[in-house]
Amino acid sequence: MKAVILAAGEGARMGPFTASVPKVMIPVGNRPLLESTVQALVENGVRDLVLVVGYRRERIQSHFQDGKAFHARITYVTQTKQLGTAHAVAEARSHLEGPFLVLNGSNLVDGRFVEDLLGSGGKPAVLITQSERPRSYGVATVEGDRLVAITEKPVEMISNLINTGAYALDERIFEEIDRLAKDGKHDLPSAVSALAQRTPVLAIRTEGTWVDALYPWDLLRLNATALKGTHEVRSGTIEPAVTIRGRVSIGDGCVIRSGAYLQGPLSLGPGCEIGPNAVLLPSTSLGKNVRIGAHTSVANSILMDDVILGPASVVQDGVIGSGVVARAGLLAAAGAGDVQIEGEWHAVPQLGALIGEDVEIANGVSVAPGTIINERARIESGARLRGTIPSGAVVL
Amino acid sequence: MCGIVGYAGRRNALPILLDGLKRLEYRGYDSAGVAIVGSGLQVVKDKGFIANLEAQLPPLIGSTGFAHTRWATHGAPSKVNAHPHIDCTGKIALAHNGIIENYAALREKLESRGHKFVSQTDTESLVHLIESYYEGNLEEATRKALHDARGSYAILAIHADEPGKVVGARNESPLVVGVGPDENFLASDVPALLRYTDRVLYVMDREMVVITPNDVSIQDMEGKPIHRDPQRITWSLEDAEKGGFDHFMLKEIHEAPKAIHETLLGRLANLEVDGFLSQGVTSVKLVACGTSYHAALVGKYVFEEIARIPASAELASEYRYSQGPSERPLVILISQSGETADTLGAAREARRRGSKTLCISNVVGSSLTRETDKTIYTRAGIEIGVAATKTFIAQLVALYLIALKLGQDRGALGYDELDRLKDQLRSLPRAAQYVLDRADEIRNLAKKYGNARDVFYIGRHANYPVALEGALKLKEISYIHAEAYAAGELKHGPLALVTPATPVIAVAVQDPTYEKMRSNIGEVSARGSPVLAIGTEGDKELPKFVDDVFEVPNLPWVLSPVPVSVALQLFAYEVAKMHDCPIDKPRNLAKSVTVE
Repeated sequence: MKAVILAAGEGARMGPFTASVPKVMIPVGNRPLLESTVQALVENGVRDLVLVVGYRRERIQSHFQDGKAFHARITYVTQTKQLGTAHAVAEARSHLEGPFLVLNGSNLVDGRFVEDLLGSGGKPAVLITQSERPRSYGVATVEGDRLVAITEKPVEMISNLINTGAYALDERIFEEIDRLAKDGKHDLPSAVSALAQRTPVLAIRTEGTWVDALYPWDLLRLNATALKGTHEVRSGTIEPAVTIRGRVSIGDGCVIRSGAYLQGPLSLGPGCEIGPNAVLLPSTSLGKNVRIGAHTSVANSILMDDVILGPASVVQDGVIGSGVVARAGLLAAAGAGDVQIEGEWHAVPQLGALIGEDVEIANGVSVAPGTIINERARIESGARLRGTIPSGAVVL
Repeated sequence: MCGIVGYAGRRNALPILLDGLKRLEYRGYDSAGVAIVGSGLQVVKDKGFIANLEAQLPPLIGSTGFAHTRWATHGAPSKVNAHPHIDCTGKIALAHNGIIENYAALREKLESRGHKFVSQTDTESLVHLIESYYEGNLEEATRKALHDARGSYAILAIHADEPGKVVGARNESPLVVGVGPDENFLASDVPALLRYTDRVLYVMDREMVVITPNDVSIQDMEGKPIHRDPQRITWSLEDAEKGGFDHFMLKEIHEAPKAIHETLLGRLANLEVDGFLSQGVTSVKLVACGTSYHAALVGKYVFEEIARIPASAELASEYRYSQGPSERPLVILISQSGETADTLGAAREARRRGSKTLCISNVVGSSLTRETDKTIYTRAGIEIGVAATKTFIAQLVALYLIALKLGQDRGALGYDELDRLKDQLRSLPRAAQYVLDRADEIRNLAKKYGNARDVFYIGRHANYPVALEGALKLKEISYIHAEAYAAGELKHGPLALVTPATPVIAVAVQDPTYEKMRSNIGEVSARGSPVLAIGTEGDKELPKFVDDVFEVPNLPWVLSPVPVSVALQLFAYEVAKMHDCPIDKPRNLAKSVTVE
């Protein structure tokens, strides 16, 4: 059986973290989100994958290449216009025959999730799950084990069962997609709802992991979930008098200097340098080639590739994009904050700083909880930041 | 150079040979051929790409044989000059990679004894020579023939009366054995074998090898057996697939950030560069060919700036034949493949002169790594595109690491300065990514500038060799005539060629020569040339002097060659793509040049 993975979207609600990478390539638990979907499929013997790519597709292709490193065979289909999920599946049509799966590449899932989907035995099906915020999703109306309809972001409470965006389908879906496209509708849930009118579509409640990130702070929850599966790996050079507790994965070529205190779950990518007396607390991931200065403390955060955090800094509940360089004494501690995303305000009870790629931060900068610093901004010494700093801005 | 692949096993040889040959096509592709022993010896060959050959192949049956893809050195590309060559009896077939230097004398002797030659190749003399010694044992005859031949070679031979046996020999041209269950392989390079086995044996110079389905025996030129255990290859064929990109070259350009990460990995924090020791080094000479030579030229500026050590760069093909002065610099030899004939020759020459030698190579266990005292590997992964891209970037990174190590050990760098440079090196993957994220901008610039017949590149200082490399890339893959000049040299001649029809690509990043560079740009724009500048992000002045600017991140000048090179690689790629050129396999060029 083949699987189509939707990976063409930008993910504009992810703030600065999709400035140059698609949402599916945001690292969570030290690997791109999309890897969890690929791995879950491969674990279940689904190795023939069609990736529908679009926004910044080179990033996906460079990472996954032809899939052999992931024990899969990957074909890429480029969706030039991001019209909708149904349109994306239709783009893959020439690569599909018979039953196939459709998954969304930007969710964190596990093998059980895919196993549940395969449970339909090739019959059309949708995977559903319970959600605390059903109004942000498509809500499923179900009769017995059959899907009646999917209602997108309902105003009224229908149920707390939501569509995970994972489907088992066959060629019949293309008729529905074509029909709806004539009315200018390009979303897959509408096509599946229409299919359910004609032929039984199973609604399967999954017991597996399915975590979605709507906003950047959700990434921390995904990261913590992903890090639960951390394997202990010791690599590189660990100097004397380093304390390592819990499950900590240390990549190739890392250097952990004396006096560092590492409390798992933690994942350190290859080539990281952790300064003397630095403290890394759960649940934190460091990407490749990250340097943490002396006496710096990082807790429950994602630091992407090539980040440099100078000495005597504090980062809590933060997401720090690739290539951010912060000199000495950055204070980005967590607290309650109001964050504006795409014009909407969100009250987040516990959050640190959200810093986009290649931001440069000079000495002694303090950042209020919930501050967004967009990509490539430059912050001069001693600045105190709150709110949203635009991309490329210079803050004196 | 050429590519060869041989097989002795139980399966039908033809599909295995053709598949292997395709993996070697980067080594040359002006003609191809195949020889198989089944019911007698069968040989098919033709001019052109392997696909030409494949299209007209009859179904050859047999489980012993070899195939060859050629890049002409002696004799024009043609069907008759294509390998394999056969002897007068039509029973022996031979494929050869390299040059037989005394072929004319051999040919004369053999013709006088009645041997009939059909081609102009040096190789044909060898097959007749083997025939003249043949007494029922192919390896005996081959050994005797090679005693008479002088030159470089990797050869494969089969005989119609000895099915199940392929004889190989090597001198200064690469040959590897692939070891499988019930089948064995021979090839010029590992990718040809990887689909079938990950266990390989390297054949060394002046050694012969005989493979049969169940046995591999390596022997010296006197026939004494040599014991060698197979090595396991850890990289795999997937590295060699395009993964959604239109060309290997584009895929490989996009792998620059990864190549930088891998090359820095584990070496930066404590400056442990593969056991390289800087004791006693008082000067450095960098020796290489082609793109690697441009890396060497950048290296000269890098060593002088970071390590404060006298450094010079020389072409391997010139260094070999120059007079060595009495001083003994550390000689650093750079070759992606580690098989470049002139660079290998230069390594031997450097040792003869009593210098310590260090090589920078991308291929583990390659010939150059065995000819030098120490090796620093660029870990860029396999590169298939004939035009070097990510491996050039990785070579620059390796040079930075060596310079940092030398600078530290010589006390040229203070602790804080060293720390700052290390942080800046850590930022290089991002600098390359910054350029890649702006590929669309480069595509538009390629449309605007890529229709010229001649293009000039100018640069100064460390970015002069980067301009040379940019021009080389454009020449190689788009076939547009491109020349690079040190900008200060323009008024000493080249300015006469500058007209409104010759665009100029100027590297004008913030470096010690930035002001001078701006006046050089003035010199060409005054003559009506459209100017595309590669400038530093945030430079508000530059756009006033040129027609277009492509910005690279603000880095210390010594590191600027990395993002600038990525930009110029992408530019050459987009121009070549616009003109529909065979980007991964440009005419007349081969990936690694194992002939002089």
